[in-house]
This record gives sequence, C-alpha cells and structure tokens, in this order.
Amino acid sequence: MLSLIARREFTEFCRDGRLFWTGGIILLLLLTALAVNWQHQRTADAERLAAQTLDYDDWVNQEARHPHDAAHQGMHVFKPQSALSMLDPGIVPYVGSTLWLQAHRQSEVKFRPAQDATGLQRFGNLSPAWVIQMLGPLLVIILGFNAFAGEREQGTLRQTLSLGISPYQLLWGKALALAIGLGLLLLPTLLFAMGMIVFTMSGNAMVDALWRTLWLGLGYSVYLGIAIFVVLAVSAKTATSRMALAILLGVWIVTTMIAPRAISDASRIWHPNPTRYEFTASLDNDLGNETRKAWMENFGSDQRWGSEVGIDQWGKALEVDDKAGYKALDHQFHKLWDTFDSQQRVQEWAGFVVPLLAIRSFSMGVAGTDFANHRDFSVAAENHRRIMQDKVSHDLVEHADGHGDHHFDYKSTREFWATFPKFTYALPDRKFALAHNTLSLAILVIVLLAAMVLAHRAVMPRKA
Amino acid sequence: MLKTIQLDKHFGSHQALKAISIDVKPGEIYCLLGANGAGKTTLINLFLNFLQPTGGQVLVNGRDVQQYPLESKRDIAYIPELVMLYGVLSGLENLEYFAALATGEKLPRDKLLSLLQGAGLDATAADRRVSTYSKGMRQKVGIAIAMAKNAKALLLDEPTSGLDPKAANEFSQLLTKAKDSGVAVLTTTHDLFHAKQTGTRIGIMRRGELLTELNSADVSHSELESLYLQYMEA
Repeated sequence: MLSLIARREFTEFCRDGRLFWTGGIILLLLLTALAVNWQHQRTADAERLAAQTLDYDDWVNQEARHPHDAAHQGMHVFKPQSALSMLDPGIVPYVGSTLWLQAHRQSEVKFRPAQDATGLQRFGNLSPAWVIQMLGPLLVIILGFNAFAGEREQGTLRQTLSLGISPYQLLWGKALALAIGLGLLLLPTLLFAMGMIVFTMSGNAMVDALWRTLWLGLGYSVYLGIAIFVVLAVSAKTATSRMALAILLGVWIVTTMIAPRAISDASRIWHPNPTRYEFTASLDNDLGNETRKAWMENFGSDQRWGSEVGIDQWGKALEVDDKAGYKALDHQFHKLWDTFDSQQRVQEWAGFVVPLLAIRSFSMGVAGTDFANHRDFSVAAENHRRIMQDKVSHDLVEHADGHGDHHFDYKSTREFWATFPKFTYALPDRKFALAHNTLSLAILVIVLLAAMVLAHRAVMPRKA
Repeated sequence: MLKTIQLDKHFGSHQALKAISIDVKPGEIYCLLGANGAGKTTLINLFLNFLQPTGGQVLVNGRDVQQYPLESKRDIAYIPELVMLYGVLSGLENLEYFAALATGEKLPRDKLLSLLQGAGLDATAADRRVSTYSKGMRQKVGIAIAMAKNAKALLLDEPTSGLDPKAANEFSQLLTKAKDSGVAVLTTTHDLFHAKQTGTRIGIMRRGELLTELNSADVSHSELESLYLQYMEA
C-alpha cells in the first residue's frame, strides 16, 4: 500500500517536471561542488606535502648559527586536510591551515570565529554540504507543498480517503515518495564521494573516510527527514496549496537565512569572545606576570633580560622565560577556545528550533573540519613548537652558557638541526568525530521524531 | 446495509439534517430527491465519515462508521458528482491506482481495460492523461473504480449530472446490474425520470427533513412529479 501511494506520488513528480528541473539543477550543483572541492583538495594536499617537506629541509639545511636565531626562523606546520572536506570544508576556509612555530610565542589563530559564519558569508563558498543544507529543504518544499493541500483542492484526497485508506498510510506513502526523490540527490553525491575515496585512498584512512561518509549520509537523511515531515504537516494543515507554499517558504527563509545568523549573534552575546586586540593585551599581561614571577624565583629579579642576569645565564634565562610563558599561553588560548566551544554548543542546542544549525555542526564535525579538529591541530602544533624551544634552550644551557661572555659566539650545526623531529600529525579519527557530535545527532533525531508526531497530528481525521 | 438512525447534523446554529432514518437493503436502489441545500450531500458525507453526526447513528453493513471509519469505507464505493482524478496520470493508471488502493491488489491491464469498457469509456482514451478528459469521461473512470472495488454498497452523489443521455442510460443499466447482484445503492439526484426508472425506492428531502418515502413501483412518473412539486411548494 505504501509503495503504491509512493509510486503514484513519485510518478507525478516525474511527469510534471518538478523533480527533473529542480532536482536536476540541485544535483548538478552538488556534483559540481563536489568535483571542484575534490580538485581543490588534491592540489592543496600536494602543495601541503611539498611545502612541509621544503620547510623541514630549510630547517635541517641551515648554516651553522646560534640556535636562538634558528628558533626565530622556526618551522611552518601545515594542517592536513580531512578527506571529507570535499563534502564539507567547514571552518577550514576561515581559519586557515598553516601555523608558524616561532620562538617565544604561540601563533595566534585567525581571530574571526569563523564557525559562526552564516548566511551571506557562506554564500561565497559552494560546497555539497551547503547545497544540501540550504537547498535540500527547498526541494522538499517544492516537491511536497501540495502533497495534501493540492489533493484537497483537486478533490483527489476525498476520493482516496473514501476508499478506506488511513490518512497515516497516505502520510507515510507521501513521505516515502519524497524520500526517494531526495535520495536521488543524496545517494549519487555520497556514492561519487565514496568512489573518489576508494580511488585515491587506501588502508585505514580509506576505511575511516568511508565510515565518515556513511555517518554524513545518516545525518543528512535525518535532516531531510525533518524537512519532509514538516512540509507534509504544513501541507495537511493548510486549506490551499498556495497558502502551504507561502508558509513553507517563509519557514525556509527564517530557518536557513535569518535564524542561524541571529542565533550566531546570540551565542556571541552569551559567550562573548575577546577582540583580537583584547586577547593580545590580555595575553601580554599574563605572559608578563608569569615570566616576571619565574625570573624572580630563579634570578632574584623581575627585570626580564635585565643586567642582573649575566650573559653566561642567557640560555637558562631563555628556558625559564619560555617555560613560564607556556602556562600563560595555555590558559589564554584554552580560555578563548572554550569560549568558541561554548558558542558552538549554543548553536547545537538551537538545533532544536533550527535544525540547520545541528546538521551544520554534525556535518563539519564528522567531516573533520570543525573547530574541535582545528583545536586538536593547534594543540599538536604548539606542542611541537615547545619541543623545538626546549631543545634550543637546552642546547644553549649545555653548550653556550659555559662560554661566559662569548655566549653568542656559539653556533650549532646541521647535526643538531637534524635531531629536530618532523611535525607528523594525523587528524583525529572518526571516534573523535562521533564523540564530539553525538549531541547534534541526538538533537536531529529528536526533532525528526517531533516532526513525525506533528505530521501525524496534522493528518488526523478532524473531529467536528 | 446503508442505515441511519435518528440522524442529526448541525453546522453551528444551522440544522442540516433532522432525525433522518433510512435503511437501504441489499438489492435496493434508493433515490434521494430534493432541491439544493436539502442535505443530501451532507448525508453522503456522514456515510463516509467525512462529517461527524451531531446526534444519531450511521451504520454501514451493521457497523458504526465512527467506530470503524476504515472498515466501513471498504464496504462502500463512492462516486461523487465530479469524480476527481490525477490529471498527469492516464485514465487507466488512475483506475489501476485507486483499484489497487481499494482492493489491495494490482489488476492486470486487460482486466482494467474491460472495467473501463464496462463503464463505457472508449478504449482509445484509456491511455490518455486524465487532464484531457471531459467530465463524462472522468465520471466513467469513477464508475470503473467503483466496479473494481466490488463493494457491498454504492454511494452516489448526483452521478449522472453532466453525462450525456446515452451515458446516463448506460449508467442506469450498470446500477440495475449492481442491484441485481445484491448491492445496496444510495443515490442523490435531481432527475425524477432517472429516479422513477432505476430506483426501487424514493425519498424526498427538504431542508434537512425526510418528508416521505415511497416505492417507485407504486407511482407513475407524472404522479411522482406532482408529488415532488407539492412537497417543494409546501
């Protein structure tokens, strides 16, 4: 019975051209976005590998020089791209993927909280995720707005119900037809992505990426399921299909354009992040306090690099100064990142009202392009920087401080540069992604169940 | 088979039906006569449970339609004044769909074609989209759907209005055939001639009241006409 209803409904989508034109254009957009992103990702990956190698070569091939000079040259580390960034680039385009590991100071992440970027900002960035998130529900509306209202106008609803068909069967049959229509978009995209993964990757990385793709498929199915049942509920409740279309387009504009922007702003009001200037000032202040305290403890003077500490202690001083700074850096950066996390959390919870926010968060998370992944990379990069700093300071203490006033004549050589490890970083695996995104998935599932209940109530035979 | 007991229906302060009790038995064709607004269509809607009674009971095959909304509908085939079909599907596809919904099984093409033919639809029209059909052609598809359902009772809401005389006559023959095979038929109509010709019993309604019931065999056409006018003018 369900398949019968679904098939008839589906035949109608096909014959009146709605599915072909609207769905076809969206599918074309999806596959184009996917292909372009994939191409972009491959180029970026190749560049990253080349750059990472060149940079390390530059480091190892330095002339003999004072190690602190070398530390000022530093290393650059490049964040590997998640394979699924071709489906959802997430915040990557906003936060960048290169960090300079330099002496004294953790490099600042770009300051715009880009995971909040919404609406128009995202317009410039065509990704399959964006297309499904924004245009998927629109397609559901175009296919489904007249599902009940139109049949009521035509009189076919009466004809059907007079046969003794339960309205719930009708609801599920129509939902199935819409699901098939949407599946025609989602499935080729996922299969295309999986094909590229199998084609270009291997081993655990491939398995990981395939799993993530399946999870994305699940998330988007739930998201579009919500759209399907909301559309059917509205169509069942409204008297005319024109009214249904007007209401649904209104809901679409509010929940995909206006509300995400507003909630993003609200999340910044509840959990304000400092401006770049404020952050720098506050970090400078903390660094000053911590280092002065450490200088006091170690050298009996809080004048950093003052004349009280002789050049024969320069390496030691550097070590003390750096290590004291780590605490301040950790405190400030984690406080900042926690603020971004809290903002993100607000948006996830808002997914109850605006499912777009929940799926966006889930999608980026599973694709490995969200803030949690960026943070993981930033921490790893900073740890690498500290390994470098500590090695340099240690070398100075061991070899240069003993030279007394001739401290700065000390030069390290290639053998020493080669003892520095390469920066090897792998993105967290899918377990990390799932652990960070159960909330958004749970919210989506709950909203889907609520939408189903709503639709059931909407088609319930009316009592006089 | 089709039965109402002291059926009342109010729309706000307006009383659409007043204490209607009718009983259409298997093998009967019951024709409801009455002007527009007499409550005939309201009565049909109550049988289909599209409306809920304010008072009294509606029974189909002995089952209360409110308690058994789906089961009772499965015993009925309903043909409205305007049969509503899916325009983008062909007549045959519409029949296939509705018949499958009604009976739960897919009928083969030749069976569907013979049903359409039985309802008087030209075989060449069967595969054309319904959006190109005339009213009469749609009506015939509706009849074919009702026939496919093989229901115990037929509910007809002015089914012949808009049919040409030949089609209307064929339709009357179909009704008689159904009656002979033991189907209970309740039809509303303006057509006194049709009522007298095919009906076994006739009820006359005015402003929600059933004024009289008579056996069509007991009256001549002219008697029926004068009786009807008499009731309408009273």
